[in-house]
Amino acid sequence: MASKRIGIEASLAIAEAVKLANTDVIAAYPITPQTHIVEGLAEMVANGDLDAEYIPVESEHSAMSACLGSSAVGARTFTATAGQGLILMHEVLLVAASMRLPIVMAVANRALSGPLNVWGDQSDAMVTRDGGWIQIFVENGQQAFDQVICGFYIAEHPDVLLPTMINVDGFHVSHVIESVEMLDRKTVDEFLPPYKHKYVLDPDNPVTLGCFAAPNMYTETRKALDTAVRESKKVILEAWKKYGDLTGRYYKPIEQYKADKADTLLVLAGGYSENAMDTIDKMQSEGKKVGLVRVRLWRPFPHDEMVEALSGASNVIVFDRAISLGGPAPICSEIRDTLYSVEKRPRIASIVGGLGGRDVSPADFEKIFEIGLERIKSRRADETYMYGVRE
Amino acid sequence: MEKGTTIEIRWHGRGGQGAVTSAELTALAAMREGKYAQAFPSFGPERRGAPVLAFNRISQDTPIRIRSGVVKPDIVIVLDPGLVTLINVVDGLKPGGALIVNSTRSVDDLKQEFSGDWKLAVVNASAIARELLGVNIVNTTMLGALIRATGIINMESLTEPLAEKFGARSKSNFEACNRAFKETAQDKITTTGPKKQKSFQAEKLPRWNELLVGCAVTDVGNTKRFCTGDWKSEHPEWNDAVCIQCGICSIYCPEACISEQSDGYFRSNPFFCKGCGICAQECWTKAIKMVEGS
Ligand code: SF4
Ligand code: SF4
Repeated sequence: MASKRIGIEASLAIAEAVKLANTDVIAAYPITPQTHIVEGLAEMVANGDLDAEYIPVESEHSAMSACLGSSAVGARTFTATAGQGLILMHEVLLVAASMRLPIVMAVANRALSGPLNVWGDQSDAMVTRDGGWIQIFVENGQQAFDQVICGFYIAEHPDVLLPTMINVDGFHVSHVIESVEMLDRKTVDEFLPPYKHKYVLDPDNPVTLGCFAAPNMYTETRKALDTAVRESKKVILEAWKKYGDLTGRYYKPIEQYKADKADTLLVLAGGYSENAMDTIDKMQSEGKKVGLVRVRLWRPFPHDEMVEALSGASNVIVFDRAISLGGPAPICSEIRDTLYSVEKRPRIASIVGGLGGRDVSPADFEKIFEIGLERIKSRRADETYMYGVRE
Repeated sequence: MEKGTTIEIRWHGRGGQGAVTSAELTALAAMREGKYAQAFPSFGPERRGAPVLAFNRISQDTPIRIRSGVVKPDIVIVLDPGLVTLINVVDGLKPGGALIVNSTRSVDDLKQEFSGDWKLAVVNASAIARELLGVNIVNTTMLGALIRATGIINMESLTEPLAEKFGARSKSNFEACNRAFKETAQDKITTTGPKKQKSFQAEKLPRWNELLVGCAVTDVGNTKRFCTGDWKSEHPEWNDAVCIQCGICSIYCPEACISEQSDGYFRSNPFFCKGCGICAQECWTKAIKMVEGS
């Protein structure tokens, strides 16, 4: 396998991946909140480096609508957005999933209004959680590059045919220039078969797509979609295995970091995992039995893998970069739900932080361990604790 | 009405005929009598001319909590004569219940269609409505037949609801209702079985794992089999002497079933024309007239 390591902004690494995947159509709203992903792609198309249709549209709602159309005619389709943009797409996102259109989208995760804040957190991804998209979190530019390529494989696989979202932390990952190992065209071609949907809009073979379902049909359509999302995990595992064999970079639905002997586990998704790794290194060198568990696959939710990763520990501290106003934090609530049926289950503390771009450093994670354990000990772990808020 | 019982009514009509208004007026009248009542439509994709349902629940003395559709009605009322042979209007009708039909046919004749322990009441409501209201909308007229056949509400209780709903036109509506009350003929249906046997096919719906990916429909042109022509109680007739061949009627037809003939004049396809009358409304030379019957 030919590959080269280059210095590149994560957003532009994603654009490179989209180019290598021979994407046919990119539709995007080019103004804030947008990232360099589509800017890079626009340039590639304009320069003739990428033979694709680039559709600049008038809103994110239209961007997803255009993607829906292009995917439905059988074109490999990509878009990117962030924060408020994802929210404006929301209606069409759900239609794309129900029509089983394998659009791949990178989301530079950002906070939601209001107040207006364009900085990073994962609220946008959490709001779209229930809409039938496969959701994968990444932690750095390399993973973003890899998962976009895997994303096309997964989304377009005949047993899947579901839109796939690659969640990249806004700014802390999306805007960082770092070293990324690129693949060459030949390797990507080898990995990624051409997109072929069973039911495409074609005047010579007419079909009806996206029709309505009355009460006597809707439940069945939802059961079918839910099953498709759940069963996509098989293909996701297959894609990651193949990609690993090809590149040496293996991915798993739930990934651990020095967690095998840990008594207390920290769980989180996204870029701050890398900060937390430093914390784990430091705390372990001080003899503390701590470890890290990272959520790679968010939808379909990897139930069994999560149970396996957590059920050996005594304490689990879940750190969410999103808040569910008036309710339990999203990742923590799913973990509680997952562990409920486990006989010997760990005690869980829920902590929310890093909202709207607020930094959470390795030193902060040390404090988060402290606070989490303290709350478990004092039996206050059931409430969500907001880290770093000025009181 | 007996204490502690809830009477359930199912109205069969067509989109635009006002079955929902009938149910609404019935409930309002019952509530004026101190009863508890409920009126609601079937929540479907209604289109003008499509078969629709509306429902009532009426109780003498108990608040009504149930929010599900009525599946075992005590009373069935059919506003559109054509529906009797098109759908199974007596589906679930309780023994001892009443079937009330708007029809030009006689009680004796209509009786032959059904088999069950029911009362049958028939009135030519369309004729009354056309005479007194000037349109074939029988929602208020049929209330007279309901009162005559079941006594579930009193005629007087309708006065105020009708006035609120129809304002100046409430008088003629009340008159139509009264006339139907007088002209309703009644008889008993027996369980010995109909002379003309009918079968209604239940719709076969797919299981979840029989759906195609993304709910794609590959059965191309299947709407062609959807015979909206069944819906009509009136059809358009063209007067070519005044028609200027502008084609406006064909543009406005919601079923897109009007086409130009080789002589340049326009005609509707009776298989799809649902009798909505929009073409007649839109034709500026008044070359189209809606005529009773399909
Ligand atoms: S032909 Fe006229 S009455 Fe028939 S469906 Fe069309 S518009 Fe309605
Ligand atoms: S709208 Fe009237 S005048 Fe025009 S083509 Fe139709 S029938 Fe003739």
